[in-house]
Amino acid sequence: MHSFETLDFSVDDNVAVIMLNRPATRNAFNTKMRDDLFQVIEAIKEDNAITGSIIYGSGKDFCSGADLTEFGTAPSQSIARTVRWERDLWSLFLNNPKPIVAAVHGNCIGSGFEMALLCDLIMASYNARFSMPEARLGLIAAAGGTQTLPRSIGPSNTIDIFSSPKLITSRQAYSMGIVSSVVVKNRLIDAAKAQAAYLSKLRPELIAACKFAVNTGCSLPLDQGLRAETHTALRLMKIEKNNVVYS
Amino acid sequence: MSKKSVLIEKKGAVVFLLLNRPETSNLVDEELALEIKDNCRYINEDPNMRVMILTGIGTCFSTGRRTLPERMYSYPDNWINKIQTAESIAKVNIPTIAAINGDALDQGLELALACDLRVADEKAKLGFRDLSRGLFPWDGGTQRLPRIVGRSTALDLLLTSRILTAKRALTTGLVNHVTKQGNALNYAVTLASHIAKLAPIAIRYTKEAIQKGLDMPLDQGLRLEADLSFLLHGTRDRSEGIESFLSNREPHFLGK
Repeated sequence: MHSFETLDFSVDDNVAVIMLNRPATRNAFNTKMRDDLFQVIEAIKEDNAITGSIIYGSGKDFCSGADLTEFGTAPSQSIARTVRWERDLWSLFLNNPKPIVAAVHGNCIGSGFEMALLCDLIMASYNARFSMPEARLGLIAAAGGTQTLPRSIGPSNTIDIFSSPKLITSRQAYSMGIVSSVVVKNRLIDAAKAQAAYLSKLRPELIAACKFAVNTGCSLPLDQGLRAETHTALRLMKIEKNNVVYS
Repeated sequence: MSKKSVLIEKKGAVVFLLLNRPETSNLVDEELALEIKDNCRYINEDPNMRVMILTGIGTCFSTGRRTLPERMYSYPDNWINKIQTAESIAKVNIPTIAAINGDALDQGLELALACDLRVADEKAKLGFRDLSRGLFPWDGGTQRLPRIVGRSTALDLLLTSRILTAKRALTTGLVNHVTKQGNALNYAVTLASHIAKLAPIAIRYTKEAIQKGLDMPLDQGLRLEADLSFLLHGTRDRSEGIESFLSNREPHFLGK
């Protein structure tokens, strides 16, 4: 296991396990966590022995959102903006060709919620609670939330979540299609590891192709998306020799 | 003459496409694909048809996926062009309903996703088993699924090969209606007879505005909608619709 200041990282049977580890702040997301995650996700991408990953939080929560104590500490807005794109953690999440499962319990708020939405699957415990409180704080979501959430649940439900003080329960998130499954708290991490282990045993190029087709397709007109899908399928056919007919 | 893979039947203004390969769970093969495409083209040329219903004969809607035959290894582009079928269904210019009488899996589900509405039997199962079998969906699944159920649910279904019950498919928005066992086709016919009574050009333009509009920036979609609405101003059906409504009688639309 590798310990970083804000997280622990280990590899268990080809599955990388990331544990956000700032329990005293309910795993609030700060610049150090951004840098630690950047290193870890990059390492996951590069390491051929890793074929899947999960991310979860230590203590009582997944992540309580951005660390507000750091707000206003950047040397300047312009520098902060430059750094945002130099250390583009969120596109690293999105463009990682390997599957990543978020295992969410307790609070999953603001940037924590956004981080989970950048993963491929969200599994949640019954006690998980989701919200986007940015506007209440005079902020806007900045880890992709205004883009990822409407692509998952449509614009009306998204604006409802962004404008409501209410916490979304995991059952509600399941009904809306944000969360893929809800499990009891003490089974959550094992269930997420099992899901990631399942995915990591599939052909890696299929997972990467599928993520690419869905994520790229979300940004394209349908006819171009269909062409991207066909192109991807043809590329895969050229590297496979499997001609079994299934029924 | 060999048995047809797809039967076409007309009842009034409703046209039925029946997948007729119950012995292979209505698996789409090259022959069935060709017959669907021919029939869809034929339907587009018939001005009297107002709704299409696609359903399966036997216990399945359609399941499975053909893989590239060995003799086609050098010509995958030609083969995929033959076997891709969903786009021809999506191009049908009248409203289309998939009556999902039984399991709709793999390419079978892609056919259903290409329809405008989906009605599922409560016993039907829906999903993509492809990745679990080392395959990749190529008949629009990775594109139409997220547009219907959203990105999160689409990634879940595609990556995990999770199979949904009809009930769960209804919650996620994958199907519009769930019926008692054995009733999917009947329910689709009820929906179709309602749609067939609407002004045909108006409902076709509605379909066009929604589908093309979703591919455009909002301002252009609004423009398309307004243009189509102005085009309807000149139709006889518009006068008939308004007159019949004001005089409290059933409209009689001519599609003109």
